[in-house]
Amino acid sequence: MSSIDDTTGSLPDEWRVELPTFEGPLDLLLHLVKINEVELTDIPVALICDQFHQYLQLMEELDLDIAAEYIYEAALLIHLKSRMLLPRGASTGEEGEEDPRQELVQRLIEHQRMKDAAQTLAEVDVLRQGLWTRRQQRIPGPDPEESIDLGEVSLYDLLGALRQVLVRYEHEHPPPWHILRETFSVRDQFERLMDRMQPEHPLDLLDDLRTRTCRAEAVATFLAILELARLRLVKLHQTENGELLLYRTGREVQPYELEAIQG
Amino acid sequence: MTDRTEIEAVLEAVLFVSSEPVTRDRLMELFNDRDKPLVAEALETVLERYRPVAGRGISAEEVAGGVRLVTRPELNVYLRKFFEVTGRSRLSLAALETLAIIAYRQPITGPEIQELRGVSSSGVLKTLLERRLVKISGRKKVVGKPFLYRTTREFLMHFGLESLQDLPPLEEFEESFGSIEAEPS
Repeated sequence: MSSIDDTTGSLPDEWRVELPTFEGPLDLLLHLVKINEVELTDIPVALICDQFHQYLQLMEELDLDIAAEYIYEAALLIHLKSRMLLPRGASTGEEGEEDPRQELVQRLIEHQRMKDAAQTLAEVDVLRQGLWTRRQQRIPGPDPEESIDLGEVSLYDLLGALRQVLVRYEHEHPPPWHILRETFSVRDQFERLMDRMQPEHPLDLLDDLRTRTCRAEAVATFLAILELARLRLVKLHQTENGELLLYRTGREVQPYELEAIQG
Repeated sequence: MTDRTEIEAVLEAVLFVSSEPVTRDRLMELFNDRDKPLVAEALETVLERYRPVAGRGISAEEVAGGVRLVTRPELNVYLRKFFEVTGRSRLSLAALETLAIIAYRQPITGPEIQELRGVSSSGVLKTLLERRLVKISGRKKVVGKPFLYRTTREFLMHFGLESLQDLPPLEEFEESFGSIEAEPS
């Protein structure tokens, strides 16, 4: 599979099944060097250049977007291919003249090195993600602001600080609360007292009034008791030591009576 | 003269409370000049005490020019469960490649990184800056004055390096390409 079918100008069939995704044109070039089993130091430029272009054609056929980087690299390869056609050393006659491929080779070697280094970092990254340290905690004492090492402060620290300020501002300046005046209706108190009272069991009026939350509620309760008495639902009795007791009568409250009470 | 065991106790306490690596110099500052030889010894004792061994959850590590206490990596799964941590923010291959280039070739500009990777790196550079693994350290005095990038102290801490000299040596040319023949076609 070292050469390409010249009659059709297409890639060998086995290329069609696997279409690895490359991180970029240099990755693709390294791949081409590997599958052609050629030495990196002695790249057959014409062959690699043609295959590179055919790969781009394949990407086009598959409707993949070809990034500008590939096109740029393709242009470099054509330029290199043309330089390879020129007789070398013709002008100076020196043998040691630089191989035009030198720069490409250097880039590929460096790229491969960095890929390997990235692989090593990836392994360390996975392992070290598992390490936990003590979380940042407030050290008691004066504001540590004075001791900030400005050398380590980056733009992102500033942005982070600004975000903190905004969060704190919002926390300290919450939107205003609309406090509604509490209203107590006579009917509510009426119903509450009706629920509380059980037959044969008197209710201590002063005790009930004392446990109201505010004066307004106590007033509403008092008015409710007057209603209860008017409708003959309770009997009021004052004991010798001054307690006011409510006794439930046998009468049931009628719906229309309940309706009539102030809501 | 401070008692040796007292010094050990102090060092252990400082390491326990610190969330960042503490340099030896900072530890030394806590004591008188004449105690300093003892401090160095005491620190070794404390480090020995916190060597990673079975049955202990915490170990001391020397990283980014300092000393700190960390949990053992094998315990990660339990800590994640306890603190209800879900999902992980692993670096992408592109980010790691860019990070490797900056680590080994710093200071380096964005265009130079792009030249080495063959693709644009502005997106991953942003990620690396946000994660504080790299920082901008000035501009190169060439046309366009591009930013120069360097790795940060966080980078050393995250990868467990004492300094940039501890980066693993780059693979040699032969090692990377020696296996070309063996590559299945």
